[in-house]
Amino acid sequence: MQIFKTLQIKPWLPQELEQEQETNLFPSVLNRDKAATTALKFFLAVVSVIFLLFTITFLQRTQSFDFQALSGEPWLPFTNADILLQNSTYLLVASISIILARKFAELENFKGVIILLTATSLFTLLFIGGQVQVWQQLNQSGFYIYANPANSYYFLLTGMHALHIIAGVLVFIRCIWHFLLDLSYQRLASRLKLCALYWHFLLFIWLFLFFLLTSDTETFKTIALFCGF
Amino acid sequence: MTEMENIAIADQVDHSSHPNTFLTKYVWSQDHKVIAIQYSITAIAVGLIALILSGIMRLQLGFPNEFSFIDPSSYLQFVTMHGMIMVIYLLTALLLGGFGNYLIPLMIGARDMVFPYLNMLSYWTYLLSVMVLVSSFFVSGGPTGAGWTLYPPQAILSGTPGADAGILLMLISLVIFIVAFTMGGLNYVSTILQARAKGMTLMRMPLTIWGIFVATILGLLAFPALLVSAIMMIFDKVVGTSFFMPAILSLGETLDHSGGSPILFQHLFWFFGHPEVYIVALPAFGMVSDVIAVHARKNIFGYRMMVWAIIAIGGLSFVVWAHHMYVSGMNPYFGFFFATTTLIIAIPTALKVYNWLLTLWRGNIHLTVPMLFAIGFIFTFTHGGLTGLMLGNVIIDLPLSDTYFVVAHFHMVMGVSPIMVLFAAIYHWFPLFTGRFLNNKLGKFHFWGTFLGTYAIYLPMHYLGFLGVPRRYFAMGETDFIPESAQTLNAGITVSAIIVGLVQLIFIANVIWSTFKGKKSGRNPWQATSLEWQTAQFPPGHGNWGEKVPQVHRWAYDYSVPQVKDDFIPQNFSPEEVEYLVSEQNNTQEKK
Repeated sequence: MQIFKTLQIKPWLPQELEQEQETNLFPSVLNRDKAATTALKFFLAVVSVIFLLFTITFLQRTQSFDFQALSGEPWLPFTNADILLQNSTYLLVASISIILARKFAELENFKGVIILLTATSLFTLLFIGGQVQVWQQLNQSGFYIYANPANSYYFLLTGMHALHIIAGVLVFIRCIWHFLLDLSYQRLASRLKLCALYWHFLLFIWLFLFFLLTSDTETFKTIALFCGF
Repeated sequence: MTEMENIAIADQVDHSSHPNTFLTKYVWSQDHKVIAIQYSITAIAVGLIALILSGIMRLQLGFPNEFSFIDPSSYLQFVTMHGMIMVIYLLTALLLGGFGNYLIPLMIGARDMVFPYLNMLSYWTYLLSVMVLVSSFFVSGGPTGAGWTLYPPQAILSGTPGADAGILLMLISLVIFIVAFTMGGLNYVSTILQARAKGMTLMRMPLTIWGIFVATILGLLAFPALLVSAIMMIFDKVVGTSFFMPAILSLGETLDHSGGSPILFQHLFWFFGHPEVYIVALPAFGMVSDVIAVHARKNIFGYRMMVWAIIAIGGLSFVVWAHHMYVSGMNPYFGFFFATTTLIIAIPTALKVYNWLLTLWRGNIHLTVPMLFAIGFIFTFTHGGLTGLMLGNVIIDLPLSDTYFVVAHFHMVMGVSPIMVLFAAIYHWFPLFTGRFLNNKLGKFHFWGTFLGTYAIYLPMHYLGFLGVPRRYFAMGETDFIPESAQTLNAGITVSAIIVGLVQLIFIANVIWSTFKGKKSGRNPWQATSLEWQTAQFPPGHGNWGEKVPQVHRWAYDYSVPQVKDDFIPQNFSPEEVEYLVSEQNNTQEKK
């Protein structure tokens, strides 16, 4: 672990000065890609903490007397979760097309880039549309947000996830806009690298939420037992 | 806006990117120094509101029923707003948004934050959060009176002051603040990790930067807990969900909520709330270390230990939160666990106090105003820290919980102490901001007024707490166990509080007067080694370093170096320049 080595350095000793001259420890020019990656990684950590905390509160709530899971019985909405699977596919395709878009940007293939950027936007928007459709269906079938904690958490968690996706889309549109202005494939590729990381992260979060929100009462019992709730 | 403008001059000199209109220079500025000043002025302005609120509260407590404009509801609202503003909108914003912004790029040798545009956005989002918060004073029902901890279910139930619009505006404002902080915080950590000057290794960073760095990471990981709880409470209030709301009767009416857990909110709140103490304390620890080293002309004692202690405190601060909840009826084993971790956190903290004392030990102490405030901090912090150890024990906390002892403890440790450091920092770095000193005589008057005055306020509060005087009460009423003398003490505290409040006005006047008319400081007036004092232009201009960013050759604490002219070696002096300093010194001695 480099950090432990770093923390053992004694900066007041003369040999530390000599060592620095030999190794030239730090580049003098700021690497913007590295800085952006650092910032994004910290941001992903922040978002992870947000969803982790929501999840912990959710798992605790699954054990309360008035909790009614959204799947398990034939009349419950996610016993058959086909529509959510369909939405997951949209997000998966968007995540793949964003990687391909980056590859094409590295190859400087304008047509390929444009097609794949469009595909990414389209499938991401399809995902959001699909999520909105599920919310409408839940409302129409009487699974209102306040009716049961499971419903509340479904709306809350998917809503938070959708907000993050929308924020990502806004940044993504900005990338496309900059690319159309300067046509720099190199910059586009480095930006798409970050976008791809964000998309994969949100896909991962979604798959986790998908599993969590469509589990039945028995599964929750097992998880709660495992977690000590 | 073009990409170039967004980058500003984070890594190269580009003269075209220097702002030249009033708007781009002072309003929509992307320069970290201007943003820092904007943050600071906003934070201090809103802090003054909170100071006035505390004055009004003290008037009621010291002289009950004398002032008709204070009723029980408005008293609770003042308590709430005072607490929340001071902790979040003043201390967090001033220490990280203000000093963090100003000092990070200058102290690590960067031209600016790595994302200047995001930095600007962070300030304006913060300003929006402040405006939303302050607007709650003007809505029907007024601001929330739920106490700064905003515990449900009472926070959102009718009967609590401001339970309609007030609490919603508070929660929305907090959400906006957290967004602003996250934008700023991502900038601070990325800048520290990726934009340090050549040679500025992590272990050569001044402790100020270490404190800000670790505090920012704590903020990034702890504020989500507040965000989560604020969002869930907004849902409970607006949509009628039951995240925190149990089945409940309110004013004779059965509400629709059921099954929610108010204790869950407490856990979330304190999972944020305890690290928040260190989000405020760690930058203060860092800054006071640097002030002490400079004004005692001595290298900081145990630099490595200080860094380790900052990291250890940061890590431990996430596993002590439930010591705020001993009276919530938790499992006794949990209490044991959290009491133990709380006592463990005292070790690195005490280590820091010893190191400050040992830095002073046989140092060449200059009793300048910043140094006075720094030494004052050691007193107030040790004092508040020791009462923290008492309250960290379950068995002592239970009888003292919700009494004035707790109020005295947390005001000493996270009210007065960080404020002492903030004053030390303002007096210390004011020449860097403006090129002028703050007035020395007024400064000394300000110090003694504040230091003795705060002791006159909080020392008696410990005794009130021991007597069992409860906190948050509008009036004490007739009780057998509280003697008459408690009221006399309360009146005395109020008089002290008013005096301390007035002394701060002298400080504000000093800042305004000295900004324009203060004595000129010249370059590096305290003869400090760290980079912020070594800029080409003084005070530093846009881009900080002129044509060439500095290269760092040593740590930041080479003071009282024998055989060197002026007794210190700046961080950016190369070995050749040091040789020159030595020969200069030899020449001077030969002449003598």
